[in-house]
Amino acid sequence: MNILLCSINTQKGLYDISGVEVGQHLYWQIGGFQVHAQVLITSWVVIAILLGSAIIAVRNPQTIPTDGQNFFEYVLEFIRDVSKTQIGEEYGPWVPFIGTMFLFIFVSNWSGALLPWKIIQLPHGELAAPTNDINTTVALALLTSVAYFYAGLSKKGLSYFGKYIQPTPILLPINILEDFTKPLSLSFRLFGNILADELVVVVLVSLVPLVVPIPVMFLGLFTSGIQALIFATLAAAYIGESMEGHH
Amino acid sequence: MKNVTDSFISLGYWPSAESFGFNTDILATNPINLSVVLGVLIFFGKGVLSDLLDNRKQRILKTIQNSEELRGGAIEQLEKARARLRKVEMEADQFRVNGYSEIEREKLNLINSTSKSLEQLENYKNETIRFEQQKAINQVRQQVFQQALQGALGTLNSCLDNELHLRTISANIGMFGTMKEITN
Repeated sequence: MNILLCSINTQKGLYDISGVEVGQHLYWQIGGFQVHAQVLITSWVVIAILLGSAIIAVRNPQTIPTDGQNFFEYVLEFIRDVSKTQIGEEYGPWVPFIGTMFLFIFVSNWSGALLPWKIIQLPHGELAAPTNDINTTVALALLTSVAYFYAGLSKKGLSYFGKYIQPTPILLPINILEDFTKPLSLSFRLFGNILADELVVVVLVSLVPLVVPIPVMFLGLFTSGIQALIFATLAAAYIGESMEGHH
Repeated sequence: MKNVTDSFISLGYWPSAESFGFNTDILATNPINLSVVLGVLIFFGKGVLSDLLDNRKQRILKTIQNSEELRGGAIEQLEKARARLRKVEMEADQFRVNGYSEIEREKLNLINSTSKSLEQLENYKNETIRFEQQKAINQVRQQVFQQALQGALGTLNSCLDNELHLRTISANIGMFGTMKEITN
């Protein structure tokens, strides 16, 4: 994409229509780390949206739920349903984790697809969905890894590692490899889908600004929701898998 | 590949935007498409969502109503059971009281009958004693009488002469005569 920007100095006008920025980041220095500021900013916005709506929804709880409360209870029911089908009977303690994953990813994806982030101009890079950045998705995937290791170890103790030689010891390398491929596939799937979505939309907008990108944007919304659901479902499935016992 | 180098190079000399600001380019920022998407989403999503939420609300309402009804029924049954318990308790009390009074009465009856029979036995005993006494007295009297008669016979045999005999007979005749007069 950035190839388009190569002749930026000479063709500023062309840049104005077709400025597609990938790999451009606004860097902040925080304690010796370079952080991607645009991701932080959009993450904060997403977190603010989630916390604010949740606080508003549960501020005045009723026995017979009214609109906002009803909606959030529905969402909670949905998340519990997902966790229950994937984890099984002991799904209770994991509902917050799965719910956090699902809601954060979902709202991130949809904010990237629905909010006009590009109205705000940054010194470098541009605002987009937080899941558009590989760091966010890797962080989420690693959290999932930690979660399923914790789940397995706290449930079965050291005998959790017995699953590596199940069903036969020959599969030991593959089973070990699985622990690395799980977060890898989780993070790359989410990152790739969202980035591809946004790129397609941006490229189409740069080519034909009106009407044509709209179907793709709807497709993006659909994919975003599916990706959030897939991430949450897979996280729950990994947790459930590490907790299920072969007694 | 070029992206990476670009992004680092661009730290230094990126010319387009140096600070935070607003992009006013309507085509580049894409608000028209976004608003269309949002509008369609709200237009269609609202119906679906409100249907969903209404269904959920109705379900909750029905569940609450059902449980209220169940609760009412359970309370009613509880009341009924309590009333029966009270009745049974009352009956039990009555039975107990009845039983006690029965026992008391039985006791009294028993005591009465026992004392009666005791009395009878006493009477019988007294009777027997009296009878024995009578018998003894009679025996004693008979003996004494016999002795007295023998004594009198002896006396009569030893000292009875004609004159005395006659006098006695006449005296007796006179006595019988007066007795006859009295009885007549």
